[in-house]
Amino acid sequence: MKYKGWLLPPALRDFHEGRIWLKEHTTFSKGDIEKSINHKYFHIIEGIQKEPHLKCNRCHNDNLQLFTTFACSKCQQQCIYCRHCLNMGRVSSCTQLMIWTGPRAMRTRKHSLKWAGEFTVLQQQAANEMLESVKAKRSHLIHAVCGAGKTELLFPTVHYALQQGLRVCIATPRTDVVLELYPRFQTVFPQTMIHALYGGSPKQEGYAQLVLATTHQLYRFERAFDIMIVDEADAFPYTFDETLQSAVQKAKTENAPIMLVTATPSQKLLTQYQNKSYSFIPKRYHNRPLPVPRFHSLWSYEKSLKRGKIPRKLKQWTEERLARKEPFLLFFPKVELMKIATPLFQLLDANIMAVHAEDPQRKEKVLKLRHEEVPGLLTTTILERGITIKNVQVAVIGAESTIFTSSALIQIAGRVGRNANFTDGDVVFFHHGITTEMDDARTKILYYNKKGFS
Amino acid sequence: MNKIETLCLLCSQPLQSAISWKILLTKQFQPTICDRCSARFEHSPTATALYQYNDAMKDYLHQYKFLQDVALAKVFRQELHARFKLEKAAIIPIPMHPLKQRERTFSHMEELLKAANIPFIQLLEKTTTATQSSKNREQRIQAASLFRLMAKAHVEHKEYLLFDDIKTTGTTLRHATEVLLNAGAKNVKIFTLING
Ligand SMILES: [Zn+2]
Ligand SMILES: [Zn+2]
Ligand SMILES: [Zn+2]
Repeated sequence: MKYKGWLLPPALRDFHEGRIWLKEHTTFSKGDIEKSINHKYFHIIEGIQKEPHLKCNRCHNDNLQLFTTFACSKCQQQCIYCRHCLNMGRVSSCTQLMIWTGPRAMRTRKHSLKWAGEFTVLQQQAANEMLESVKAKRSHLIHAVCGAGKTELLFPTVHYALQQGLRVCIATPRTDVVLELYPRFQTVFPQTMIHALYGGSPKQEGYAQLVLATTHQLYRFERAFDIMIVDEADAFPYTFDETLQSAVQKAKTENAPIMLVTATPSQKLLTQYQNKSYSFIPKRYHNRPLPVPRFHSLWSYEKSLKRGKIPRKLKQWTEERLARKEPFLLFFPKVELMKIATPLFQLLDANIMAVHAEDPQRKEKVLKLRHEEVPGLLTTTILERGITIKNVQVAVIGAESTIFTSSALIQIAGRVGRNANFTDGDVVFFHHGITTEMDDARTKILYYNKKGFS
Repeated sequence: MNKIETLCLLCSQPLQSAISWKILLTKQFQPTICDRCSARFEHSPTATALYQYNDAMKDYLHQYKFLQDVALAKVFRQELHARFKLEKAAIIPIPMHPLKQRERTFSHMEELLKAANIPFIQLLEKTTTATQSSKNREQRIQAASLFRLMAKAHVEHKEYLLFDDIKTTGTTLRHATEVLLNAGAKNVKIFTLING
């Protein structure tokens, strides 16, 4: 075969640059892929590495529990595959991964920032500090309370980086957040090619210099980004899953700084950054203090609900919200308990609905609450972050449960009073005993208010 | 394939690892999925299938066959073992076309039996690579036989049991049954994992 006259299709280069991709999953023609390989435009590695220890070369999983060995009909051998990143297409001993090493995609330095908003003094300061860190190629932690307006903070840094011809990624653990950020960034950076990547996202053309992705999608990148911004850096499953953290490392270039943005940094993150490059915004953008949670005992609530009765104080609280037409969220520690409670609450108002993680109508139900079509939602912790509903009031049922960590409780409290016209509201932790996590959440919120208004 | 699972194969939640005397005395296998995932499957009321088709089963088949998660062959091993351990008929899993099997990298029906520690034989081979689901009802019913006897296969005058994953129109099982009966089988029973 002669390769004379073959021209690298730009689309192939644009797609594969920065990606680590299963060879059998490429959407480009076999001929073009083979020719690219012959031109040494791809570095090919085995899917599963056996030495020095078993490791998936895509997601870097090395937990033996998450590998399975079987007699493979394709390679006719004992084959090992990774179960950790299975839903992105199976990586096994007899599959190969391709990493682009060919000519680089065209990047542009022409990017405009179309944003007419104004920063508060604290926002401005944090935005400046972050920009300084990026210029110095230094990682940075932004600690901003819920409702501080952290997305806008990113605009100057992202704009600067794009104008330098750098490739930028904003990663977040949650698809909801990617979907919310995408249109906002498209409006603010109208000249910039932006891709939004999440499980099931549509195919997007061209080379994106700005990529918004779930942390999970980072498994598919390798040494791709010059700036890595991680939003909600503390959120599940990021804190739980070490391979996701290594995915962040893997997806960025060696010297690329990481910008972490969170409302509830772990002690570990704080110690790591506090004295170096750290910005703290203890105040909301509308300059009103954070609503402080109150504790209310609700003894044996579980028994009571199982007997078909809403505990008196909880019933009162709900009826008060209904009477005052205030939208509300009731957080439950377990789906099972929530399911038992749902019909009981529907006796108070037939339109009350429940939503949980696997609920296919999750988005619609949240929209209904926002549009005042339902008076309130029963929910598990999935709605603890990201959602903003005008004048919402929240109650946690069983705040002593282990699932309600201090961070989760701070995020839940952070749903209230975000709107500039409704800056206050009720946050009540109904409990069967006060835990240190509850105390910690309240202490931190009081501390932020003290810091912000001293 | 023989390792002990510490995480639920379907939802990755940690499995209660306590090996109770009850499990040791009455059960052959360690559980591989949690109680919550297990409760999502619906048992079949018929004697010729284990489960009903529902959302949980749809997810399972997607992960097992489409995402090629061979590990999931173990999920039903206890139930399959219980159903087949006293079976007198010779068990024949519905075969895949060799090309199709290479593509999937495993035979999903054979793996289910292997995981359940149930011996089986093979006498049939698939004649076409086309899948049943890619044809319409008419095409399925009128198609030439989907199976033929393997070269040198010896069908005895005895009872056989055909094992398939799901029974929809029954065409697959009907074709396989005919081939065996024509070759001298005394009787052919069928059993499926899922009632279509
Ligand atoms: Zn992997
Ligand atoms: Zn193989
Ligand atoms: Zn499970």
